[in-house]
Parts: sequence; structure tokens; C-alpha cells
Amino acid sequence: MALRDDFPILKREVNGYPLIYLDNAATTQKPQVVLDAMNEYYTSSNSNVHRAVHTLAGEATEGYESCRTQLKEWFNAERAVITSGTTEAINLVAHAWGRANLKEGDAIVLTEMEHHSDIVPWQMLAEERGIELRYVPVMEDFTLDMEVYAASLTNAKLVCVVHTSNVLGVRNPLEDITKLAHENGALVLIDAAQGVPHERIDFKESKADFMAFSAHKMCGPTGIGALLIQPDVFETMQPFMGGGDMIETVTVNGSTYQTNEHKFEAGTPRIAEAIGWCAAFDWMSSLDLREEHQRLVGIARWVAQQLREMDISVYGRHEAGDSAVVSFLHPTIQSEDLAHLLDSRGIAVRTGHHCAQPLLHRLGISGTVRASFYLYNTMDEAELFIEQMKYITGRFG
Amino acid sequence: MTYPADLAELIEEFQEVEDKMERLEMVFDMADEVIPFPADQWSAISKVQGCQSEAHVKVELQDGKVLLLSGADAKLVQGLMGILSIAINGSAPAQALLLSPDFAEEMGILNSLSPSRSNGFRNMFDKVMKEIRVLE
Repeated sequence: MALRDDFPILKREVNGYPLIYLDNAATTQKPQVVLDAMNEYYTSSNSNVHRAVHTLAGEATEGYESCRTQLKEWFNAERAVITSGTTEAINLVAHAWGRANLKEGDAIVLTEMEHHSDIVPWQMLAEERGIELRYVPVMEDFTLDMEVYAASLTNAKLVCVVHTSNVLGVRNPLEDITKLAHENGALVLIDAAQGVPHERIDFKESKADFMAFSAHKMCGPTGIGALLIQPDVFETMQPFMGGGDMIETVTVNGSTYQTNEHKFEAGTPRIAEAIGWCAAFDWMSSLDLREEHQRLVGIARWVAQQLREMDISVYGRHEAGDSAVVSFLHPTIQSEDLAHLLDSRGIAVRTGHHCAQPLLHRLGISGTVRASFYLYNTMDEAELFIEQMKYITGRFG
Repeated sequence: MTYPADLAELIEEFQEVEDKMERLEMVFDMADEVIPFPADQWSAISKVQGCQSEAHVKVELQDGKVLLLSGADAKLVQGLMGILSIAINGSAPAQALLLSPDFAEEMGILNSLSPSRSNGFRNMFDKVMKEIRVLE
């Protein structure tokens, strides 16, 4: 598989075995072009962005702003604020939009499927402002209860929903969710951290008002992400973090702010990371993401079936639009023990609550083992994973 | 450091094994050495902080000798508890307090565990030693 050659880390061994990296829902590996782009920036162009006339500053600014251009093109968006990641992007909405537009008695609709990053900022705001939080339950088939959702929209000003669950891999019916929310006068925030790696999303067409995601889950660097905002909503937001770069003028009596995305990007931004993310977009643009996604879901479905045949509980359904995540629990081998045993054979999986404790509470469990597949994973690796699972369960189960 | 004979022998056995899965299995086997601390007696006081999984310890004196009761939901943690039990059970408190946590590193256990689990082991060790100091 030629694509794998682009990822130097995949050539390494772990505990004497070839690395099989199945922790992609946590973070993905980076192709050489991303590493080269960041190295080239630090080697040849390192400088701070904006407000300088020298050549290096110009190159750094061009590199940083080209990330924004790339984001707008890739997602068909008019406004793209560069953040430190999905978490900061959601917190930005809570502070910059929520504080300016929500008042006591308003309601925010969340789902039990949300990552903590899409729960905690709202709990903090709710406590501060006297806002009601309503949670849409997850049903036994791992989907959202859309009847409860529809009923929860009265007086709701915002709906926050995860595009694809990081535990279940289930893709939510965002089109229906957004339509219903808008019909009831609520805006929609999509946590697309697990969605953008698998699906080329047209933000304008999605009609969502906000969309948050991170670079590192789609072959880009850690520490950078974005918040896409529809232009009319953008105008209703107030800056919340003050500092350099976000101002227009500063006097001892007060300040005025930039009117574009810079007003939400106080301080020196993540320049090398933005340049690295651009390289990741370039690299991904050569792939047929839809075809790759189908291949990966096929692998996940096969793995899930194999695990079920071993009497292992699997959480998720692995339908066509879902992500390639397989969460499971062995009846007798404790999850962390299992993960350590897999690691001893070079296989990287994740265990724990995956920052989604309300979902796990609904499922009646405290954690899972999670194997998640991405572009460079192969069916051969999936077969080796199952082979080791059979060996480990036979020896330790 | 000089270790009690049982522990010194165990350290040597671990050092001879190169394969990580085999070493993990050896730790699992050490779970049999644990004197069980029943789950219905687990509390916030007995909980070992810093472990990814549930781990609880209680130290008693029996005829003036240390007795470690312990329990955990992960076999690996139980195994680590078993090794600590071999190291201190039946010792006078003053003698048990001389034990250094370095034995786990010498056995190559800490190298084969995640940093959080290694910290968890250190937290468990420190909690047990603290309880022995109180009983001394």
C-alpha cells in the first residue's frame, strides 16, 4: 500500500513487533509532507505574522493565511477562525456568541453522545447565566432519540451535536437535526472532530451555524483546529480573548477590534501548525475520501463481527456513513489489561471513558477498548489485530 | 539495595524474561499472592489515587507483623499488589519501611507499563508505606 510509505512512523517497531496503530480517533499519524512543511517553515521562514514588512514576516503571514484560505475552500465556508482545536473552538462559541446572545431562561440542547468538550463549556455557561441544558438520550440501537429531540426544542436557542460519536462511530442525522433546530429558531453547533477526517463536509450546504474540528485527527499537526461560522452569525459575536493581533486600535481609553476572523485570534497564532495543516489538506486532496471511507468502514464492520463471534460486546452499528471506530468490552479480560497485552504485540488501542462519560453511563459501562482505523490502515492489519485478540483471549480469557 | 530473599529471587526471574507479554503474564500470576480486600469494603479512604482503574489497599498488623490486604479490577494492578505483598507481608513495620519502590523498576515492570500505571504503582506503594508508618 503505497500510501503507507508517506508515514515514516509506520515503519517503526513496538516491543519487537511492527506497529499497528489503531488509535486514530484520538489522533492520526502525520505524512512526511506535513513534517517537511513545518520543518521548512522553522528552517527558512520563521517569523511572526502580520504587521511587519520584512520578507520572513511576509512568508510567515502568507503561510498562516493560506491555511485559512485552504479551510474556506475545503469546507466551502466564508468565515474560518483558526483555534487551538475543537475544544477551544467550542469554548469560543460559548464565550463569543453565548455570552452576547443567551440570557436566563434560554435553553441549550445537547446530546448524551457529546464529548466532554461539547458539554463542559455549556455547563459552565449555564451556571453563570441561568441557562437550561437539555440532553437528547441515546437509544439501544446507538442512535439519538429524535422524538425527544424534537420535543426539546421549545425555547432552545442553540443545539450542540456531535457529527460522529468518538465512542460508537455513529454518524448523527445532522441534516434533520439542523432543519428542525432552525424551524424552531435555534442555531446549530456541530462538533465535527470525528466527522471531518472521514467526510468532505460542505459547510454552507450543511446550513449549520458553527462547525468545530481539529487538524490532528486528519493527518495535520496537534494544537490547531478551526471554527467555521456562517457570516450572519459571525456578525453577532463579540471577542472574548483580548490581546495582540485582534485589535484595530488601542488607546489608554479603550480599544477597537478587527472585524474579520482576527478578532477571535488574539496573540501569536500557530504558524507552523497552520502551514503543516495546509500540507495535510494538499496531501488528502489527492485521495478519494469517499472511497477510502467506505473501505475503512468495511474493515471496522468486519472487525466488529469477528469480535462479536468471540463473545465480545461491541458498541456501535458500523453503517455506511459511520466512522471506522470499534468500541468493545471483553467479558473477562479487563480493558486496560487487554490494551497492555495488545501493546506487547505492537498494537495501539485506547481504553477508558474516551471523554464521553454521559454516553457510557447511558450504555451502563464505565469504559471500552477502542480500535479506530484510518487511511493508512489495511485489512492485513485488521486480520493481525483479530489474530492477536484470539490469541490473547485464548490465553488470558 | 538488598532485598528479602523471596523478592530478590522474583526480581531475577523477571529480569530473565525479554518478551513483554510473558512479563505481563508473570505480573498477572502474582495476583494470586494478594490477600483479598473485599470490594464491599472499598471506600474513598482505601482507594489508591492515580490508578486508571479501581485499586484499594488496607494495611493491618497481625502479631506485630505487616499484613497488606488489597484489591483491584485490573489483573495487572492485582499483580503489582501481589508483588508488594510478597515484599512486605510478615515483616516488622520498621523492616517493611526500609523497602524501596525501586524493586519494581529492577524487575522491568515499570518499563513495561504506561506512565500512568507506573505512577499508580508509586502511589500505591506510598499509600501502603504511609499506613505502615501510622501503625508502627
